[in-house]
Amino acid sequence: MSSSGTVHEALGACAGCRRRSWLLSALSVLLDFRAQDRARLDELLSLDDRDLLRSLGGRRQSELSARYEALSTEQIAEAPGVEAVCRHHSLYPRALRDDPASPWMLHVAGGRRRLALLAGAPVVAITGSRRASDYGVEMAHTLARGLAASGVTVICELADGIASAALAGALEAGGPALALPGNGLGVRWPTTKRPLYASLLRSGCALSELPHDCRGRRWGAVAGERIVARLAGLVVVVEAEEKPEEMALARAAGARGKTVAAMPGRLTSPLSSGTHALLVDGARLVRGAQDVLDLLYPLAPARRSSRGAVAEPGIPGLEPMLARILALVGTGRDTPDRLIEPGEDPAKALLALSELELMGLLGRGAGGRYVPRHPAWALEGAAGTHAAPDTLTAATQGI
Amino acid sequence: MLARAHAFTIDGLRTRHVNVEVDVRPGLPAFAIVGLADTAVREARERIHAAIRNSGYEFPNRRITANLAPGGFPKAGPGLDLALACAVLAASGQIPAVGLEDTALFGELGLDGSITASQGTLAVAGATRRAALDKLILAGTRVHEAQLIPGLHVAVAESLTSAVRVLSGGEPDPTPSRASRLRARGCERPSLLDLSEVSGQHNAVRALVISAAGGHNCLFSGPPGTGKTMLAQRMPSILPPLSRNEALEVAQLHSAAGEPIEALSSVRPFRAPHHSITAAGLIGGAQRGWVGEAALAHRGVLFLDELSEFARPTLEALRQPLEDGRVSIVRARHSAVYPTRFMLLAATNPCPCGHAGDGDRCSCSEAELARHRRRLSGPLLDRLDLLVDLHRETTSEGRLGSLESSEQARRRALDARERQRSRLRAHGIGLNAEMDAGALREHVRLDGRGEAMVSAARRRGLLSARGESRLLRVARTIADLDGVDRVRTRDIGAALALRPYATDTERSVA
Ligand SMILES: Nc1ncnc2c1ncn2[C@@H]1O[C@H](COP(=O)(O)OP(=O)(O)OP(=O)(O)O)[C@@H](O)[C@H]1O
Ligand SMILES: [Mg+2]
Repeated sequence: MSSSGTVHEALGACAGCRRRSWLLSALSVLLDFRAQDRARLDELLSLDDRDLLRSLGGRRQSELSARYEALSTEQIAEAPGVEAVCRHHSLYPRALRDDPASPWMLHVAGGRRRLALLAGAPVVAITGSRRASDYGVEMAHTLARGLAASGVTVICELADGIASAALAGALEAGGPALALPGNGLGVRWPTTKRPLYASLLRSGCALSELPHDCRGRRWGAVAGERIVARLAGLVVVVEAEEKPEEMALARAAGARGKTVAAMPGRLTSPLSSGTHALLVDGARLVRGAQDVLDLLYPLAPARRSSRGAVAEPGIPGLEPMLARILALVGTGRDTPDRLIEPGEDPAKALLALSELELMGLLGRGAGGRYVPRHPAWALEGAAGTHAAPDTLTAATQGI
Repeated sequence: MLARAHAFTIDGLRTRHVNVEVDVRPGLPAFAIVGLADTAVREARERIHAAIRNSGYEFPNRRITANLAPGGFPKAGPGLDLALACAVLAASGQIPAVGLEDTALFGELGLDGSITASQGTLAVAGATRRAALDKLILAGTRVHEAQLIPGLHVAVAESLTSAVRVLSGGEPDPTPSRASRLRARGCERPSLLDLSEVSGQHNAVRALVISAAGGHNCLFSGPPGTGKTMLAQRMPSILPPLSRNEALEVAQLHSAAGEPIEALSSVRPFRAPHHSITAAGLIGGAQRGWVGEAALAHRGVLFLDELSEFARPTLEALRQPLEDGRVSIVRARHSAVYPTRFMLLAATNPCPCGHAGDGDRCSCSEAELARHRRRLSGPLLDRLDLLVDLHRETTSEGRLGSLESSEQARRRALDARERQRSRLRAHGIGLNAEMDAGALREHVRLDGRGEAMVSAARRRGLLSARGESRLLRVARTIADLDGVDRVRTRDIGAALALRPYATDTERSVA
């Protein structure tokens, strides 16, 4: 525990917690060797400073101890735009507070006040494979967007695949989102992630237990997972293979008694083997944002059964040719060659595909295949920031 | 005593007239060549010396100065040997000088006095005609290249002795028969591959025909073994034949690059350089005979197979040739301009492992996909009009059979080109792909529905401003293939389905 015990409200963190943060970065390389064994890493991170030094220090123990004792807290500064919040501070998230294994202190980009606000709302974690299929990306994006639009805070790791798609979806809805990169917040982002990070800071927060210039390598991601599992009230696995590293978050949350939900995929797809295993083990099956909201705010069973989370097949007012093509794409006839019958005029189907793409009902996936998009997303997009609906219908009539 | 002979040297694509002046005067025996001669020309002294003596003439044991005029540009290659030797003979009074006045000489000498044809014969023949010289003397192996130039008197000489005989009004050596020439070089006319051999992939075949009809650049993307290379190789079979003037232009380029020309071919060039090619190999160099693949593809097709494997600087170097239809290269002492009006075809796998979109077979990480995309995007993707995805076919699609034969496709493409030519004549262009903003405004008038589609695409971020012009050009060609004057909504729809796009994944993480 902190020796001083007093938190300077403006500083965000007490001296003891800041020293702890320094110690983690000094031990980062050593912690990385323990990252394979998640349980052991959890145990290590819940030790106090001296025990941690004793367990990890090895040959460098006396040198590190000396530096630790001599450390003055003035030497520990935050990066610009990053605030600290320690477990003794009034804005530290409640869900983390009374748990010895929680981080002592978080570095927050986006402001600790906003963090407290977002963590106070219902929090849903979205997770899954870093190597997702188009289907997984689409589902994660739509789910996060729907949840964010309903005021739910979406939390995920800042990683490739499902997590990025979910984050992008939540942010598209202008949404409340929390993201946990595996590095300190001052470490340079890969170029592809920079725009996502920039828009995250407009409406959400990035959190890290690691000091700003500290690379987490492997252990940073594992440490982040443990924070997600504690902050989230519910975890949705969108698409994951049955591998320990892809299932870890769901297992950790399940062990803490949190609700675990999973989205089904194709039985033949190895990318969904993990989610299917979770479903067999009793995870809740969710088809979209509505199902997740129903889990968060349980309704009377009679009412729930009548509400579909997935839109009914067919979109009201869609011209018959377009509806037919959309349905065919949904069944897997997702390339022009599969859609156009021999001898048929190819222009009709191509025009329909393009119209559906312009309406946002179809997108392009890997290899250029057409992918159905969630209708709600498509129509909202059309009506809101994009085209006026009347020009779109004008373009689609009378093909 | 002084004697003069006419010769030519090739500098980039220009063939320049060279006045070979030789002066022989008393003094210590020496043989100097002045006038910016390169190594090959300076080495000529030894060859000429041996050739003259081995042909039964006397090599003057005096002071010989040869001047290559005008002196302002470098002269290269061994093609000047024959002219130098004849001028030496005339200057030393062994042959009459009169014969040299209106005759061009072109060829490399062997030590025994035999004459070998030098590369660039066709270009030299053209220049001889332009210089208003009566006659061109050269070796038999390439004489038919020179004979392609109408109104030029070509005389064959296989040795220095024969050349001297022709110069003094004697009979030339016989022209070798065509059959023996073919045997000598093992060269055959390529038979064109036919589109009817492609089974299935109808969408890609239709795109290929659109591309041929309008001159649009096109990228095929798909897993290995789906027929991308196969399709591209069939492009020449559906392109209209070269006109006579175009064929001559193409043949001269290839001749300057040192390729033997058998006859004027009406088949459009198809160049498929390996992806290890350098930027210089692609666009050419300033020196003689260094014609790049882009120029060799002039009036034909440049095919870049495995596009993502090409080095970035190489692809960057293609921007000017694609944009301007020519490339100019300036180096310290040389400069050259090559015409490069080619159509660009390219093929690539959709991802590093090649299986993206093929069920869940793709094993690439997001970072790998992003890197692959980055290699493709930028300068070049921006200049492609059509992007066609090919997919591995299931058995039911496999039995679709071929869409059409090359003969049918070429006829349709030709009709479409005819429509374009008459419509665009006033703009000084012939193909839809060449339409500028003005021509687009005039010839692509959309109805309300078409307009609505284009502006919806723009609002959704599916089209950039540049992408919009390309879309309209392609739509114009699709209408031309159907023989329709007005661009209809369905043409816009079909063009949109073939546009270069970004996938959802790319957009959601961007
Ligand atoms: N659609 C097709 N119709 C008939 N034969 C085909 C077709 N696609 C492929 N083949 C056969 O497969 C061979 C390989 O095709 P091709 O070289 O065009 O593949 P590719 O798409 O270029 O693959 P890669 O990505 O490996 O270069 C062809 O020579 C041909 O024999
Ligand atoms: Mg190939």
